[in-house]
Amino acid sequence: MPSPRLFERIDRVELKNLIKRYGDSIAVDDLTLDVTGGELLILIGGSGSGKTTTLRMINRLIEPEAGTVSINGTDIRTVDPVALRRNIGYVIQQIGLFPHMTVRDNIGLIPRLEGWDDAAITTRVEVLLELVDLPPEMFIDRYPRQLSGGQQQRIGLARALAMDPPLLLMDEPFGALDPILRKQLQEEFSKIKEDLGRTIVFVTHDIDEAFRLGDRIAIMHDARIIQVGKPEELILDPASDLVSKLVDADRKFRHIDNLTVRDLMRPVTRRYFFEGGMPIGPALLAMMEDDLGLVIVTDTASGTGILNRRDAFTHRNDPVTVGDVARRPLVFAPGDSATEALRVLKRKKSPFALVMDRETPAGLFFSDEVLMRLI
Amino acid sequence: MVAIETIALATFHHMVLAYTALLVGIGISIPLAVLSLYSRRFASVVITGANLVQAVPSLAVVAVFVPLIGIGFWPAILAIVLRALLPIIKNTWIGLSAVDPAVIDSARGIGLTDWQIVRHIRFPLAYPAMFAGIKFAAILANSLAILTAIIGSGGLGSIVFEGMASVNIAKLMAGAVPAICLAILIDATFSALERRLTPSFMRE
Repeated sequence: MPSPRLFERIDRVELKNLIKRYGDSIAVDDLTLDVTGGELLILIGGSGSGKTTTLRMINRLIEPEAGTVSINGTDIRTVDPVALRRNIGYVIQQIGLFPHMTVRDNIGLIPRLEGWDDAAITTRVEVLLELVDLPPEMFIDRYPRQLSGGQQQRIGLARALAMDPPLLLMDEPFGALDPILRKQLQEEFSKIKEDLGRTIVFVTHDIDEAFRLGDRIAIMHDARIIQVGKPEELILDPASDLVSKLVDADRKFRHIDNLTVRDLMRPVTRRYFFEGGMPIGPALLAMMEDDLGLVIVTDTASGTGILNRRDAFTHRNDPVTVGDVARRPLVFAPGDSATEALRVLKRKKSPFALVMDRETPAGLFFSDEVLMRLI
Repeated sequence: MVAIETIALATFHHMVLAYTALLVGIGISIPLAVLSLYSRRFASVVITGANLVQAVPSLAVVAVFVPLIGIGFWPAILAIVLRALLPIIKNTWIGLSAVDPAVIDSARGIGLTDWQIVRHIRFPLAYPAMFAGIKFAAILANSLAILTAIIGSGGLGSIVFEGMASVNIAKLMAGAVPAICLAILIDATFSALERRLTPSFMRE
């Protein structure tokens, strides 16, 4: 029997005076927090700070001892937990894909239990795979063990979005990935996030991730929230030494005037270089296998170009080469001033630029990453 | 000599005995194993009970039933069923409970009910272990179905025991050889079935 659609959109998720104890230790201590519709709220804290417990009380995987959680004013204890969870997306660090099911069945399981027909499920799965940048024709019949860590996490996200939930709970979704891949998935996710227009509660212990993705950040310590605010509020007006230590407020903007593009760029290795004459299909495959979001294209008619994965994805079935699809990037020299480079990026509304050491590409300069490293 | 028809009939009788007991055993064990998932206490009672029955020598199990419920087909079935329980319960329970907790957590988190988790996640992942248990139980049932002839179950066991009593080697063999062949057949059939039913993600 299909579960009811509990809410079309989220106006407000209210956590009021939540208490949860495990034996003698207190996991969540009188926690009150408001999540506004449409925002990405980060819950950050060390292990044992209560952030995961808090998150799991929102979809009733954990029941609080005292206090209430309400969504759009409805106390969630009055709602059937299974129906509630089908209206809320859930992604965890270990992903937990079902090893005996293909990608299609993993994503389509809840729709199937909801009584959708096969054609509708396949269509939905394909839409979601496109959303997470995995070509459906390549991935739909694979089993989880045939996927890389990053690909598994994309499927985990697609599965969470299967029922188009207006609220999404994410528990360190990128925590198990290696640092470069994590950055890349964060970047993609922050783009997807804009398209989704959903309310997201996101648990992490990584302050960089919190600043990169969060609209607001709630800092947890010893089962309590010690401060909630926008990233700049936490930096400019930390509630305690603990907060300022966490956001590392002293370090910000220290040397920006002395820094060059070379100091802040991301160096590139050989695997980032693709020849202009390469057909687009194999290029996309190679980008998939290495989990690359951007590559540098050499030997095109108009010099060095940049191919991003979205473009490669869009043109994957066209008879074109990498050189045809590549775009001309902004170019800086390693010795350029970082502040000046940032100003140019902002003016041209470009998220990144290519750094060329004379004739050789030396690295990529991302505006958001530069800001991250300065804050 | 023993007439071919007699052997054939005894073999058939033996198979009915062993397989009825096996099916009853499966029918009892699997629900017990599933229920054991939900209560640690229930699990320990079930597993201890099954272990205990397993520890008693086969002949004693068979013998105990005579004063309790007499002799014949059904007492024999009961004796075999008791022996077949442990491997099925234990393997099913281990298979069902050994599923990665992250898989269960994400299943519950995306909105599967407890029963749907058992049905769509735990069971398919437990098939290989369950199957190993059922195969072992089938072999146990096959050998015990010989022994139960002493409480009047009939079948190949009767021929074996008669052959022993009269020191008639040909008769002894007429009972024993079909039983051995059946054991080999059971092993082969279940192995084939196991390969067929192993989910494709586990095969290379």
